[in-house]
Amino acid sequence: MYMPRRPLIEVRELHRYFGPTKAVVDMSFEVYAGEVFGYIGPNGAGKTTSMRIISTLDEPTYGDALVDGFSVVDDPDRVRRRLGFMPDYFGTYQNMNVVEYLDFFARAYGLRSYERKRAIEYAMEFTLLEQLAEKPINGLSKGMKQRLALGRTMIHDPAVLILDEPAAGLDPRARIELREMIGRLAADGKSVLISSHILTELAEMCHRVGIIEQGQLLAVGTVEEISNQTETRSEVRLRVLGEPDGMMQYLRVRDDVSDIAFRNGQVILTHAGGPAEQAALLRQIIEANFQVVEFASKTKSLEDVFMHVTEGRVQ
Amino acid sequence: MTSVPPTALNEATSIHPPTRTAEASWLRAWNWTEARLAALAERANPILVKETRQALKSRQFIITFMIVLLFCWIVSFVGIAIVGPQIYYAAAGPGMLAAYYTILIIPLTLVVPFTAFRSLAAEQEENTFDLLSITTLGSRQIVTGKLASALVQMVVYLSAVSPCIAFTFLLRGVDAITVGMLLAVAMLGSVGLSMMALLIGAAARVRTTQVVISVALVLLLAGAGVALWFLGIGIISDGSAMYRQAEFWLFAVVVMSLYVTTFGLLHAAAAAQVAFVSENRSTPLRRWMMAQQACLCGWMAGLVYVVLGSPGASSSGFMSGVVIITATLGSGYWFLMGAMMTGEWPHLSRRVQRSLPTNDAWRPFVSLMNPGPGAGYLFAVANLTMLLIVSLSAAVWANATGMAGGGGPSLEAAFYYAIFAWSYVVAFLGFGRLIINALRKWVYVPMTAAFLIHVILLLSAIGVPTVIQMTSRELRNSGYTLLQMPNPVWTLSELANRGVNSVQADVLVLILPTAALIALLLNLRSVATELMLQRIPVPVRIIEDEAELEAAAPRGPQSPWDLDDDPA
Ligand SMILES: Nc1ncnc2c1ncn2[C@@H]1O[C@H](COP(=O)(O)OP(=O)(O)O)[C@@H](O)[C@H]1O
Ligand SMILES: [Mg+2]
Repeated sequence: MYMPRRPLIEVRELHRYFGPTKAVVDMSFEVYAGEVFGYIGPNGAGKTTSMRIISTLDEPTYGDALVDGFSVVDDPDRVRRRLGFMPDYFGTYQNMNVVEYLDFFARAYGLRSYERKRAIEYAMEFTLLEQLAEKPINGLSKGMKQRLALGRTMIHDPAVLILDEPAAGLDPRARIELREMIGRLAADGKSVLISSHILTELAEMCHRVGIIEQGQLLAVGTVEEISNQTETRSEVRLRVLGEPDGMMQYLRVRDDVSDIAFRNGQVILTHAGGPAEQAALLRQIIEANFQVVEFASKTKSLEDVFMHVTEGRVQ
Repeated sequence: MTSVPPTALNEATSIHPPTRTAEASWLRAWNWTEARLAALAERANPILVKETRQALKSRQFIITFMIVLLFCWIVSFVGIAIVGPQIYYAAAGPGMLAAYYTILIIPLTLVVPFTAFRSLAAEQEENTFDLLSITTLGSRQIVTGKLASALVQMVVYLSAVSPCIAFTFLLRGVDAITVGMLLAVAMLGSVGLSMMALLIGAAARVRTTQVVISVALVLLLAGAGVALWFLGIGIISDGSAMYRQAEFWLFAVVVMSLYVTTFGLLHAAAAAQVAFVSENRSTPLRRWMMAQQACLCGWMAGLVYVVLGSPGASSSGFMSGVVIITATLGSGYWFLMGAMMTGEWPHLSRRVQRSLPTNDAWRPFVSLMNPGPGAGYLFAVANLTMLLIVSLSAAVWANATGMAGGGGPSLEAAFYYAIFAWSYVVAFLGFGRLIINALRKWVYVPMTAAFLIHVILLLSAIGVPTVIQMTSRELRNSGYTLLQMPNPVWTLSELANRGVNSVQADVLVLILPTAALIALLLNLRSVATELMLQRIPVPVRIIEDEAELEAAAPRGPQSPWDLDDDPA
């Protein structure tokens, strides 16, 4: 992946308090060009609040965020030229069709005549809305509205896209389409910040993720990095020839193995350690003369990482 | 297509040369017009374009329009039926005009402003306001766009009624100036009310209060509509007599200057409500306040010129009266504005600090235009001071150039009045600001709360001494006493009506200005820290961006008129 060293989004010690509620606490991270950054956290974690600040809709209590080097507090006008924000609601107008909707926002972003025409055409083509050009926006389905919202967000060709829960409420097919669109946007060199409270939704879409809870960013990195950073535990399944009792006996005395069970002819256990330790475990089992016919280790899902990272860190 | 030999083409085109060129020039003219129109729409405010499109599809708009049209027809038929065959001789015009005006004033003062308010409120409710505010449209553009949309609606209603109004012009008893005045009143009223409705819509962003505010706004608009209706009827019945008097036109100038500056102030205030917090939202408002002050000076100068210019006028009592009126209007105005400005947030954003005046001779004056409660306080005080100095100097000058005598308050009373009014404003704003400052150390005090603190302070200074005196057996019947010192209303009205001795002005002149100076001094430190703020440098990234924009700036047409054919 192409990654110039200049981040397009730079969040610096961001804080946002609403009275006693600490919605965002000391959040710092960067998103580079061509990168899709996922924001994962349960409801009320502060995803929307921080995204609204980066999108110049709200001001931080303390700290700042830079978009393409411009402060969202001091230069919202310059930030707005470079940023598209898609909130988790649609924002409809009465008596308006799809083209008129896009045309209005294109005008509002200062696009003139041919430039605007091209921008609208491109957005409709990109979001597969060409057939719906004349359709009133109030008659659109959820999926169509979501595509139109994405079209509106990218109408002025911003370098940074902030998408708040874009996949929420979409059917699987629409979700796949969305993922493809986001991939294309990133391939175009844009920075995409995308949030979700459903982890699997983001797992394949994002280059890096940030795990956020109670306003705090608990971990940042690729899913792999995060699982390595944390003390890893993975589920291992073993099948041996003959009775498993001997091997279970052997395993019970080891420190790095816990939760041993026997189900469906398989020994299932939780192993603390990375891939290297797992290889060592397998070698040692074989050296102890157990006849292993199957050894499977389940790579940890984002869900597991998430549960692990957030557990007990904040109350 | 296969290629045609050039000769054949030439022959073909030269078969009917005259008609073809005529058609071509007609076509060219049409294309030209169309290109201009398209270019105009290109440059029009996006909100205007959007809302015009929406309105054309909106059932509510079309129905209202139809109703207006229907009523115009009914009035026309009924009117003609009543007047009957005498229509060519009787002066039926005014009656018909009044009826059409009534039909016009309802949509113009009620429907158009309320629609403007609703369209802003709907942006909040439908969550489109966020989407709109993160576009590159500026806050002033947003307000102007909403206003322009209201204007388009207004023009549509006008065009429904104007044929009828033109028809009354054919009848007897209606002259062109009356019709012009009437339309001007209706239009200016509609635009002004729409601006006000937009400000209210921009300020009232909390959804829970929307219903209350809507009802209050409708009542307000209805009241204004009734007032405009009476004004219009007055113009229809006595208009032609009024136009012959010079005073009428002078008065019209006064009203127009008040209208324009208030409109500017409301527009700037609405834009400030819409703007992002770090923007400088104060300086434009302060410019309009100065414009209003200049208007007040202008009116007073005009009044002096008109009255003293007439033969046999005496200046003393009159000039004192002018000083007292000026001081009353000025101190009321600056108290109100000061009460709002001192509620501004003391922390200047880096964005504002970047544009602070650099160190030069003008800095002290320009700094007063900066955002911030301290600068705002000093701005109000400085303006009021200027106003009073100018009016007092004018009075002294008029007095010195002769023409003494005449009734009215003495020049001495005017001096005391000006000094007392000044002292009250400076003291009340100053002490109010100290209270706000103290509260802000503990709790969040928004601008509205700060404004209320000033109002409560003033009301209690008026109310408490009055109540004490009224309930005290000894003092009840003794008229003005020094107990009323903090009460500006009683003190100043007593001074203006009964003269210097009734208020013990020689005592008050020691106390009131002292209180004002103490308030000023206590505020000086925080005001100074605000005014001493230095400009901070513009970040390198901004300079880079400026240079990039400069290089990329299209050298395209600057107005619709120099747009040439398609670039594509
Ligand atoms: N305008 C507001 N006023 C008060 N509290 C708010 C406001 N907006 C968000 N919050 C609070 O901030 C926290 C974070 O909210 P949010 O950013 O919407 O979470 P998420 O998008 O991750 O679900 C929540 O506790 C929420 O109640
Ligand atoms: Mg959210």
